[in-house]
Amino acid sequence: VIPFEASCPACGAHVQFKTGSSIVVVCDYCNSVVARGDRKLEDLGKVADLVETGSPLDVGLKGSYRGAAFELTGRAQLGHQAGGVWDEWYAAFEDGRWGWLAEAQGRFYITFQQTLPGQSLFPPFEMLELGQPVAAIPGPVQFMVAEKGVARQLGAKGEIPYKLTPGEEYHYADLSGPRGEFATLDYSQMPPLLFTGLEVELYDLGISPSVRAREREARRVEAIHLSCPQCGGPLDLRAPDKTERVTCPNCASLLDVNQGRLKFLKALDPGKVIPVIPLGSEAEFGGIRFTVIGFMQRSVEFDKRYYWEEYLLYNPQEGFRWMVRSDDHWNFVEPLPPGAVSDKGKSAVFNGKRFKLYQDAEARVEHVLGEFYWKVMVGEAVRAADYIRPPDMLSKEVSTVVSAEVAELPAGKAKRGARKTARPAETGEINWSLGTYVKPREVEKRFGISDLPRPSTVAPNQPFPYKGIYLYWLWLMIAAIVVGIALMITGSGRQVFERTYQLQPLAGAEATHVIFSDPFELEPRKNIKVTARAEVDNTWLYAEGDLIEEATGLVQAFSIPVEYYHGVEDGESWSEGGKTASVHLSSLPAGTYTLRLEVSWERWQQPQQLGIKIEQGVPRALHFFLMLLLLSLIPLAVAIYQFSFEKRRWQDSDYSPFS
Amino acid sequence: MLAKIYLLVGIIIIALYGLVTLTGREFGDTERQIVPADVRHSPGGYRSFHFWHSGYRGGK
Repeated sequence: VIPFEASCPACGAHVQFKTGSSIVVVCDYCNSVVARGDRKLEDLGKVADLVETGSPLDVGLKGSYRGAAFELTGRAQLGHQAGGVWDEWYAAFEDGRWGWLAEAQGRFYITFQQTLPGQSLFPPFEMLELGQPVAAIPGPVQFMVAEKGVARQLGAKGEIPYKLTPGEEYHYADLSGPRGEFATLDYSQMPPLLFTGLEVELYDLGISPSVRAREREARRVEAIHLSCPQCGGPLDLRAPDKTERVTCPNCASLLDVNQGRLKFLKALDPGKVIPVIPLGSEAEFGGIRFTVIGFMQRSVEFDKRYYWEEYLLYNPQEGFRWMVRSDDHWNFVEPLPPGAVSDKGKSAVFNGKRFKLYQDAEARVEHVLGEFYWKVMVGEAVRAADYIRPPDMLSKEVSTVVSAEVAELPAGKAKRGARKTARPAETGEINWSLGTYVKPREVEKRFGISDLPRPSTVAPNQPFPYKGIYLYWLWLMIAAIVVGIALMITGSGRQVFERTYQLQPLAGAEATHVIFSDPFELEPRKNIKVTARAEVDNTWLYAEGDLIEEATGLVQAFSIPVEYYHGVEDGESWSEGGKTASVHLSSLPAGTYTLRLEVSWERWQQPQQLGIKIEQGVPRALHFFLMLLLLSLIPLAVAIYQFSFEKRRWQDSDYSPFS
Repeated sequence: MLAKIYLLVGIIIIALYGLVTLTGREFGDTERQIVPADVRHSPGGYRSFHFWHSGYRGGK
């Protein structure tokens, strides 16, 4: 492509269109936006100076995306209605395509314009609903509306592939997909323009982070030292390229930050809340060092007002995180792409995991301290819902604004057949974050502080501390069953004696019949089971027995009552006992034994029959089940405690499964 | 911590079960004694301890 060179219509300076398909170029000297038409150049007006955002990108930087080389030819800076700016970089690909590379809060999103025959099916801006899918976008990815807003063209540089009009405002909707997919509906014209793409890392763009990392580090880490316009006292901005609001540490004034200039907004109550983690403290999470730059107290109201604290953490490369303290419980909170979470009814799903709704209320900002990346105000309220799956908590915050000013915005660029919106338009955004429970002592360790108050309640996402016992219980039960089966299989049960005795009537009720058996051999380390069988029917027989080793005189005594009763009572038959009874004895030393039995029975006047059987190495189901019972006692106690723990967890929720 | 203690206790319980089974131990055994042969062989000189002192009063 042969560069098209001309003079700026505003200042006469040299301007150059290096890319054949670019529409405008920004004059390096006077910031005029110069558009090339069919016959002559057109001056579209002057753009503001670019705000330093510490971006690692620059016009002229080359890279490649999915095998296609590109060069960043231009940059536009757009203003957000809630304050702050974001950058859009324009990538001219060697295959003739244009890519839109958006950069906001350290994240990058590359998108490409889609030309679709069905674009007219896209709903008008005011019909889009936050959190709802946009069915008109074809393809397998389901995009949901993450943000509806108004963008204002502020600064620009280089060559840009559309007719950028300085100061122009237009509606847009940012859409988010489940796996980092990103899309934008640009309502600067109707039907809206659709851009789809992905959230990417610099690595994905073929741009080595090391190219600009040192420069970016130098720019960002250096705090800016300023003076409070209210009291004149010194204050530092730790994230000068991101901060929109800051409080003065000397007079507690809330100040607006605009490109390093401070403006007094409001005097805050200085001693209202004191953060337990001092501003400026540093801690490492996941190998990344964060600095506490802001502190905020928020509240919700149910039967009374509940307060919690949020500490804003900042790392120049990674952006923002939060530490949240509620009832002395702590959570480390990371932002999530809104499309990665789907919520319906009383549950939300993230990464295939289902979270339960715990709380849904209006959260209000009560107190602020330090720096914030948005125009925070005391009293600012958002709709907040928490979903729990210990140790994690998903939080959704929805902020909406219905603005008359917004409603008056043109829904399309004037020169492209714009029309006025007919009714008030709602703007706002939906933010999802993932909180992970952190124990207070870990917070102390990470931040190098001590004596944090300990919680006395159960947090919504506090993990049950003894859950690991259940897994151990399962392992132990499997091991116990395997051991039990192995011992039963390998145990050599054998019968060592059996005999049936015919007993003559006794001389009297107190008389006994004594029997001596023939000798038999007993093996060592095997239990002994003696079984007696008698023909008893609604009566009893009682045998006192001794196993006697003739050689040593060792006597092992035992007793066996055999009784069997049955009958009919109130028309129902019943029975108790049986004609057989047995007793288990511990193993005896190996040797030759005789059995001595001394028998009496209730109907002593009648003869009786007594069968005796002696076995060794008999499997004991009782011992096996006793072992299983013992193994289950502690888990059972833990389960009872967990029930109480879970009830306490849900006691402050309107969605408790226990109510 | 409790989980690890439980795991240890559980292993001990299974080990005890194995030991009891392999050595043929039973719980609640009646007493064992040495009765010399001359005592056992003398007429009327030997009775089972429990029977002598308690007898049996079974019945429904």
